Amino acid sequence: MAELNPQVWVDQYGDQLFRYAKSRLRDTNAAEEVVQETFLAGVRYSEQFAGRSTEVGWLMGILKRKIIDYVRSRNKYNRVTPYEDELDPSAQMFDEMGNWKPGAVNWSPAPGQELEMEELSEIVSDCLKTLPQGQADVFVLSVMEEMESDDICAELGISASNMWVRMHRARLGLAKCVGSKWNVDANREVKHVR
Amino acid sequence: MSDDKAISELVSKSLRHKLDGDETINLDRHLSENEEARKFAELSQLIQNSVSGYRADQDIDKKDGLSEDAKTRLKESLSGAIEEKLSLSQAGLLQNKTPVGDPLATHDQGSSRTKRIPGELPAVPDRKVGSRFKLIRRLGEGGLGNVWLALDQRLNRTVAIKELTAEALENPKSWERFHREAEITGHLEHPNVVPLYLFGTDTTTNEPFYAMRFVGKRTLEDAIVEYHDRLEAGVADTLELHRLLTVFLDICQAIAYAHSRGVIHRDLKPQNVALDSFGQVIVLDWGLAKILEDSELSTKMSVSGECGVVEPFALTQTLQGDVIGTPLYMSPEQATGDLDRVDKQTDVYGLGALLFAILTGRAPHQKSCDQSGLDLKGILETIANSDPPAAEDYDKNIPRELEALYSKAMAKKPHLRFGSVQELADSVERWVAGQREQQSSYDNLRMEGRELRADLESSVTNLKRNVQFAAGLPPVEQLMHVTADEDVSVWRERLASIFSGLLRANPDEQSIVYSSVKDGEFRELVRVERHSGDAGSIRVVPKSRLNSGPVNDYIASLAKKKPEEVLTSLVCDPLCERAEGCQERVGLLAGVPVFDNSTEELFGFVMINCDIDKILRRQMSRRLSAGEVVVACDVFHIMMHTKAGQISESTIGHSVSSTTPQFSKAVDVLQTELEYIDRTNSEIYGARLWFLGQSHGIMYLLKRS
Repeated sequence: MAELNPQVWVDQYGDQLFRYAKSRLRDTNAAEEVVQETFLAGVRYSEQFAGRSTEVGWLMGILKRKIIDYVRSRNKYNRVTPYEDELDPSAQMFDEMGNWKPGAVNWSPAPGQELEMEELSEIVSDCLKTLPQGQADVFVLSVMEEMESDDICAELGISASNMWVRMHRARLGLAKCVGSKWNVDANREVKHVR
Repeated sequence: MSDDKAISELVSKSLRHKLDGDETINLDRHLSENEEARKFAELSQLIQNSVSGYRADQDIDKKDGLSEDAKTRLKESLSGAIEEKLSLSQAGLLQNKTPVGDPLATHDQGSSRTKRIPGELPAVPDRKVGSRFKLIRRLGEGGLGNVWLALDQRLNRTVAIKELTAEALENPKSWERFHREAEITGHLEHPNVVPLYLFGTDTTTNEPFYAMRFVGKRTLEDAIVEYHDRLEAGVADTLELHRLLTVFLDICQAIAYAHSRGVIHRDLKPQNVALDSFGQVIVLDWGLAKILEDSELSTKMSVSGECGVVEPFALTQTLQGDVIGTPLYMSPEQATGDLDRVDKQTDVYGLGALLFAILTGRAPHQKSCDQSGLDLKGILETIANSDPPAAEDYDKNIPRELEALYSKAMAKKPHLRFGSVQELADSVERWVAGQREQQSSYDNLRMEGRELRADLESSVTNLKRNVQFAAGLPPVEQLMHVTADEDVSVWRERLASIFSGLLRANPDEQSIVYSSVKDGEFRELVRVERHSGDAGSIRVVPKSRLNSGPVNDYIASLAKKKPEEVLTSLVCDPLCERAEGCQERVGLLAGVPVFDNSTEELFGFVMINCDIDKILRRQMSRRLSAGEVVVACDVFHIMMHTKAGQISESTIGHSVSSTTPQFSKAVDVLQTELEYIDRTNSEIYGARLWFLGQSHGIMYLLKRS
């Protein structure tokens, strides 16, 4: 069995795991909880660490699982609003005929503007917080955690059509939010506003 | 597809690579024609690219991490987990503990239950159960639970902790049974039912346990084995059987009490009865107990609805957990699975089975279970169809009255058994009381026999002391050397005078003789004897009437002794050839050789003849409780015989075997032993007195009236 050093986990990996968890769960307390669960599971099952990955990589594997469990638990017990009743950004972006409203996607990248992915991801994270939880969770699991659609449906206990509706609404909402924030940043010549 | 909304859905799908060929063509066409659609597609792609493919090492040096408070909290919880892990590791709990499958698959909020693997023994020192019980060592394991010796750290006392076995943990029914067992035990407040202190759930494992009084590890099974081992070795006495029967009566009291509360034990066997160091009897293991539906308790029990019904699994569970143990004591109605008939009479049967085990040292269905080729089903069929076992089937000789008692208790048909546990207990108690009376009577008999022997031993000791004294008198020495007739007469008179005094002081002594021995002939120098017709008259035998002649066997043996060594023997006539084996009245003779101090050669001997018949008659004249007494010498001829306190003159001189055959077994034993104790019937007692340096002696044989 490879050696683990749990005494230093909080100082060495705590922030990193916490940020990752928070980016997925969009909730400081929830992120802290899953990080704690990750560390405890790491100690409890330390025999399973074979040393094939780094210590933090192994913990990250545990954390990803814990995040999924948390999302499932939250969706199950917090009675997420049925997607039919969720905020649908379509109303803001399409007219009655289903055509784009002018400036629905308020994004006009200036020629030669360098897109800094790292900064964009922070904007996306901020925008995720504005989305209904059901939409954001599907987006996180699908895009950020790269889970298969079937697995997402199984974990969250939703149908495939439900998932696709949520996913699309999340993309629309994010596009609107990110476009808006990016333009503000560009106009003010500031990278972004927190 | 005509509207932009539908196109936007295609964009979303395209980002997951879910478009077919037509959809792709359609989307590309619209994107080239519609700017908003193109913006949405480009931005969505950017958004996706910005957050997908995240790797852990991308996050280095970022801000916005855990707060200091959060880190402190995490460190504390991590530290606790590390300590727990360390202690479990030290206790050896972690070997092979990893649950099958992905251990990380469950986000188990608020619970950190560590599941035990079936077959794994939780034999862990220093493990704690609940918040206060520190396990010390495992006491035993049954089909349902493990029992541990534990320290109650709050009250600083030892307790017994019972918890489910790893196998039982897998079975929800076992949890239910376990809870019910605790509940029943807790409801039965009786000195012979183990007191339950606490029923709880371990916060670490979420497994149930209960704490009860620690009553030691010794069970009735151990006591039965020890008793029968001692019985076979010939060192057990009736008292030990009575102790076991007293234990049995205590068990009866516990069961009778349980019946009064509507509880049937259903699993009575010696292993389920604990015996503590102070004689306390505790009935354990109420895990199979049944609560009668119409009982007071059934309304109190939370699971009463199910307890009223005998679940088939209960029987199976026992069999699975204890294939050997339980069927050995099982009633026919249990063996047939006729569970509707299981009632108080089933416990009467179980108690009969316990009585059988106490008396024979074997389980009642041992033979059925030992039959080769019988599977469990066959064994159960045999039990269901068998009459109560006979003690003789196990080569055991037990009191007939007790055999009748267990046979009735174990009758195949429940209605032929004792009507209640109390009725059975009363019957056994009556037998014990009768036996105690009998035992008391036998104890008196033993006491009398020992006193008779001690009394004779005292006489023999006195005789030896007198003959040694007589041989050491100065005239004895003087008579060796004086030659002048005058001097010889003087010393003879002096010695005779002292010998006369000795006889007067010792009424059982018949004569004292000082004799010389030379060239195979003896010649009496002084003889003082009691008058045969008048015991009070003592005379000095005149020189002309003194005896002389060839030495007999006794004198020859005496001549071989060293100075002051006394030879004691039973003889008919001390001076004739036939010293022993005569069928006449015998005398007890004690002699000591006399040596010439100047030459250090044997000069002669001093000998005292004691009237043993007189001693024995005096002994028999006491108020003895014995109905019959025989005193016999080594050739097994009767020296004294009394019946109901009257001396039977006609049998004196006859052989024991022909006249009093009831003592034959005792006579056999007394050839090598000092005592014979009748452990079976407590009727005959024998005690033997060995004469020092001799291969023979006297035996007292007493029979209880």
